[in-house]
Amino acid sequence: MLKGHLDMIVLAALAAGPAHGYAVIQEIRRKSGEAFDLPEGTIYPVLHRLHEGGLLSARWVVAESGRRRRIYALTKSGQRALQERRAVWQQFSDAVGSLLAGPQRRRPA
Amino acid sequence: MISAYLDSVEKALAFDRSLSRSVRHELEDHLREVVAADPEGAGPDAESRAIAKFGDPRIIAAQFAIVSLSKQTTRTAIAITLVIAGIFTMMKVRIAWYEAMLWTTAEPLTMLSGIFVAIDRYSFWLSVVAGIAIWAQFRRRRRLSAELNASYRRHLYRSFLLCLVATTFIIVSIISDGMLTAFRLYSIDLGATALVPIFSMTIEIACAFVLAVLLLRWQQRMAAAMALSQ
Repeated sequence: MLKGHLDMIVLAALAAGPAHGYAVIQEIRRKSGEAFDLPEGTIYPVLHRLHEGGLLSARWVVAESGRRRRIYALTKSGQRALQERRAVWQQFSDAVGSLLAGPQRRRPA
Repeated sequence: MISAYLDSVEKALAFDRSLSRSVRHELEDHLREVVAADPEGAGPDAESRAIAKFGDPRIIAAQFAIVSLSKQTTRTAIAITLVIAGIFTMMKVRIAWYEAMLWTTAEPLTMLSGIFVAIDRYSFWLSVVAGIAIWAQFRRRRRLSAELNASYRRHLYRSFLLCLVATTFIIVSIISDGMLTAFRLYSIDLGATALVPIFSMTIEIACAFVLAVLLLRWQQRMAAAMALSQ
């Protein structure tokens, strides 16, 4: 189930600001209360795909460790896509919530 | 241990050198950071834990291969569009030059020239139609797929076929252009003024070469992505 929503999860993790892959994974783990513990490698192809799709921008920097690091940030299209997906998810969540809330007893006529 | 893991990912992505290098740097930064943050301290155990959490290198490489393939598809479609526009411009430049120089085709070649003009015209406009079909195909599927499922494979095959058809018509058009240019040059005394049509034809041939290389690379990436996804 998580696989189908990975794009939205990654976009949401970057909503707070630019970050590199490791920080994105940490943010997903933190925000989900450790519920989403994905194989870490699966996040990087998603980041590349969203970058290719124009939803993320990417730039290389040199980290304190001296290693090259790729930093991702939401583009305008990415922000719009996140807003749209949030709205769709909210609708879906409300609908499922209503269904799972149990049957409302009808008053006898 | 980390280096061996990165080598295996890099090797699997060898069909796209810039991607494999960039992925290597990115994954190395991640894995080294995870090892440094390991509560039990850095060492071979921490490295093997980091690798285990990262996932199967073949699966990761397969996901990157799909991104590379999508990139190559878009790149080829853009190149075809630019080449069609370029050929059209070069043809117009040559015709304007012939008119300015008052060059005509020598009498014995007029009939043959007429045949090549027809081939040139039809193959050029058919390449335009194929180019439009490529973009129509792209519009039907704007989002990049996360996996190489049956539907995405069909989309890629159709796109590849359309690009191949467009490239074939472009090449036929360029060959006809080459013949027509040769007829004109045969009919005049060669001098510095002949450099304009020769130069424009060189550009067209270079464009055809670029398209052929892009299609070949696309085919290689498609084969690599399919092999990794199995």
